[in-house]
Amino acid sequence: MPGCSLPSYSPENISKTVQYLKNTYPELSVIQKCCGKPTKALGQVDLLKQRFGSLVQDIKDCEIDEMIVACQNCLNMLRESKEFKTVSLWEIMPKIGLPKELRGKAAGSDAVISIHDSCPVRQETAIHDGVRWVMQELGYKTVEPDCTRERTRCCGFGGMIVPANPDLAKRVMERRIKDMPTEQIVVYCAACRSSMLMGGGKAWHLLDLLWGPVVTKASQPPENVLASPVKAWINRYKSKVVIKRQIT
Amino acid sequence: MAVQYTEQVLKISTEVATGCQGLQPPFCSAECPMHTDAMGYVRLVGEGRLDDAVRKIRERVFLPGTLGRVCAHPCEAVCRRESEFGQPIAVAALKRYAADKADKEELWDLAVGQPTGKKVAIVGSGPAGAQAAVDLRKAGHAVTIYEKLPVVGGMLRVGIPNYRLPDAVLDFEYTYLTKLGVEYKMGVEVGKQVSLVDLSLSYDAVVLAHGAHKGLMPNVNGAVCDGITNAVDFLRELAMTSKSKVLGKRVAVIGGGDVAIDCARSALRAGAEEVQLVTLEKENELPASPHEQEGAREEGVVFRCGWCLEETVSQGGRVSALRLKDCRSVKDENGQFNPRLGDQDTEIYCDTVIFATGQRVEDISGGAMAQTNGGRYVVDGDTLATAIPGVFVAGDAAGSTIVIQAMALGRKAALSVDRYLKGQDLTAGRDFKSEYTYESKFKVPLEAGTENIKRVHTQVLSADERTKTFAECDLGFDDEDALAEAQRCLQCECKKCMIECLMLNDFTRCPGELFGTFLGKGDIEPIVPYSCNMCNQCTLVCPEEYKMADIFAGMRKDMVKANHGKSPIKGHGAIDIHQKLSFSKMFTIKRKGRK
Ligand SMILES: Cc1cc2nc3c(=O)[nH]c(=O)nc-3n(C[C@H](O)[C@H](O)[C@H](O)COP(=O)(O)OP(=O)(O)OC[C@H]3O[C@@H](n4cnc5c(N)ncnc54)[C@H](O)[C@@H]3O)c2cc1C
Ligand code: SF4
Ligand code: SF4
Ligand code: SF4
Repeated sequence: MPGCSLPSYSPENISKTVQYLKNTYPELSVIQKCCGKPTKALGQVDLLKQRFGSLVQDIKDCEIDEMIVACQNCLNMLRESKEFKTVSLWEIMPKIGLPKELRGKAAGSDAVISIHDSCPVRQETAIHDGVRWVMQELGYKTVEPDCTRERTRCCGFGGMIVPANPDLAKRVMERRIKDMPTEQIVVYCAACRSSMLMGGGKAWHLLDLLWGPVVTKASQPPENVLASPVKAWINRYKSKVVIKRQIT
Repeated sequence: MAVQYTEQVLKISTEVATGCQGLQPPFCSAECPMHTDAMGYVRLVGEGRLDDAVRKIRERVFLPGTLGRVCAHPCEAVCRRESEFGQPIAVAALKRYAADKADKEELWDLAVGQPTGKKVAIVGSGPAGAQAAVDLRKAGHAVTIYEKLPVVGGMLRVGIPNYRLPDAVLDFEYTYLTKLGVEYKMGVEVGKQVSLVDLSLSYDAVVLAHGAHKGLMPNVNGAVCDGITNAVDFLRELAMTSKSKVLGKRVAVIGGGDVAIDCARSALRAGAEEVQLVTLEKENELPASPHEQEGAREEGVVFRCGWCLEETVSQGGRVSALRLKDCRSVKDENGQFNPRLGDQDTEIYCDTVIFATGQRVEDISGGAMAQTNGGRYVVDGDTLATAIPGVFVAGDAAGSTIVIQAMALGRKAALSVDRYLKGQDLTAGRDFKSEYTYESKFKVPLEAGTENIKRVHTQVLSADERTKTFAECDLGFDDEDALAEAQRCLQCECKKCMIECLMLNDFTRCPGELFGTFLGKGDIEPIVPYSCNMCNQCTLVCPEEYKMADIFAGMRKDMVKANHGKSPIKGHGAIDIHQKLSFSKMFTIKRKGRK
């Protein structure tokens, strides 16, 4: 389950990740749907019940043993519901390993990349470790900001404050950028990536680094797709099509 | 939109509103009757920002150098480094350091209010009268101080000896009053040259701040001969003429408090060859501050503790000896002063006796105003108003016993006078707690790893040098010591979540205040809960682990409920649509995997 922001950001990442997981889990099912976190954040209790319920039904329909999620909010929503066994994509990666050809691919890069942890999974050490493991496997040099792992700070996107208080959200984003020891940043949430860009930083999604070209000091990050609703919805549609094609 | 908040939201809000440490002042400034921001200026000294430190001190008190030397510093008694380690921050000495190093007229706030056309008379130029004068000038009233002596400062000038507080410091700091336009009538004794009635007729209000200047002497057999005086008269004469007519060579001071020690140490400096201090209290029960006792011992004052003066013996009309009886206990079971004497006798020889056994407030109202213990006038404790409309009392005449308290009562009287002159109620909406000493409820645990770093002491002249002159004994801090001492301060405040959260800073000084206001009003602007990132960073740092995000999330739910299932925030219409789409067939898919 990739969540919402990732498919809206990058159908390519969806496609490659689905293929990668399918190689390990031939019986892989894929669900592209929202977990309802934004509805929850707004405080719409009744709507949430109904919406989350529809997701639960989908999962049951697919007879899934274990959910692998690429979104930290989905992870928490599913875990809170206690209905299904749920793991994060980032914590299983070290277990199943990276494709051989990708290992050490960035060993020659001069980039030094700061790591930003997602705040909803502040306590999930296994996820933090997984992300660092991937970076190391790829051969990237990384640094940690002062507030990292269990002390990480919000990117500014949380709580749906962007539409409510855009000026404040911008300041929170800029503050998080100030925390970062280097200009180039890696995140593992597409919404965090968008925030980092809005805060004036240069951020890549971990999957960009995994599946995309090697990033060097001179590289510029992909554009902020999520800032354009039209492009984002088109992408989300494309991602759906990709999934449909890959899981047959 | 009338929002019904759920029990849960109200419950946690109440917890935060009542338990949040953010509004608790540090121990030092809560205890200070003038609420000098000790934590603030100590931090500035520690950062080497001395001009700012002086500005910060002067926000509350106009006598930084004076208080830095003589303030009885109740703040140090409650300092966290005292309660934890018995090593309080040298708050007063750091104030003196900042003042000595950086105080200058350019830093003074000389602004006064628009003239109100009202005139106030203040009796006495001690710290209480002077503080009242400053505050009333700032409020725009015309102020005239009546002072019976030819010098200003009250006990700061004629009580506290020069070796503790040099005249130059006091003179410089008192120029502030003249700069604000305070007028003086020097050498005019109210009750003699001019009556209280005269003042009430020619002024719109009167503040009595004439202190306690009548030295008390117990009835002692034989004490009608030469060579006998009291502390107030003795110290005043010394302060004003640098001499004492009564002083001989062998001196006995009666009393065990700080005033007695001032007398003893002054007598040595004024030429006495032998000084004995006779006290009812045992050595370990002396009320005088340990630091002062130590200074006196070093200078050679002999302590005769646990003795009661029974009789003075005279020869040729001058005192020649004292008969003493041993004192078993000073107070009775009820804690009342009631010395119990034993049967041991002794005699000591002397040619001078100074009674340092208390001061009394003189009645200058011609019997118009009721007095109580020690002559203090009967006043309303909250407002310092008396039975006579427009007449207020401040300072020791109203019950203070140290300079900083006297100043706080001066400020309190000024607040009342200002209201009185504006025809306002004296009490309505007034926060009396903040006008005097109170206790801080601050209880954030010490940061892990806080060590007991020992207090740094100031340099002092050697005892030999000290007793030769009235020059100042305490030389104060040098730069290095001041920095080290200031940096020991634990900065007792909780702003942890406020350092972490930008959002909270946009709306409040701390969550306690925010949720307190919410509970008071029964509602909150929707933008507040809807600005929370739900990131829990506040909870992470909060010593109470308050969950602000939970409260805000609860509020959002309640607001949605009151708003027919929709968020009250305009911009959230887009999310509604967004969410509908995110669950729509068009953008969702489920694909069941197959072997
Ligand atoms: C020897 C001694 C040492 C002390 N040491 C300390 C210390 O180290 N630290 C500390 O905090 N406190 C100390 N105190 C206490 C402190 O000095 C007093 O609490 C404080 O000065 C009281 O201020 P006040 O303005 O009420 O009165 P005062 O300072 O007493 O001033 C009253 C003024 O009114 C004038 N006056 C009196 N009668 C009349 C009249 N009829 N008409 C016109 N003017 C009149 C007096 O001349 C005097 O100038 C000490 C007191 C004494 C006596
Ligand atoms: S440690 Fe500092 S802030 Fe705390 S009570 Fe002492 S002087 Fe005040
Ligand atoms: S959870 Fe809300 S209140 Fe707490 S730090 Fe984050 S934004 Fe601020
Ligand atoms: S961290 Fe914030 S909420 Fe917690 S006690 Fe301190 S000021 Fe109050």
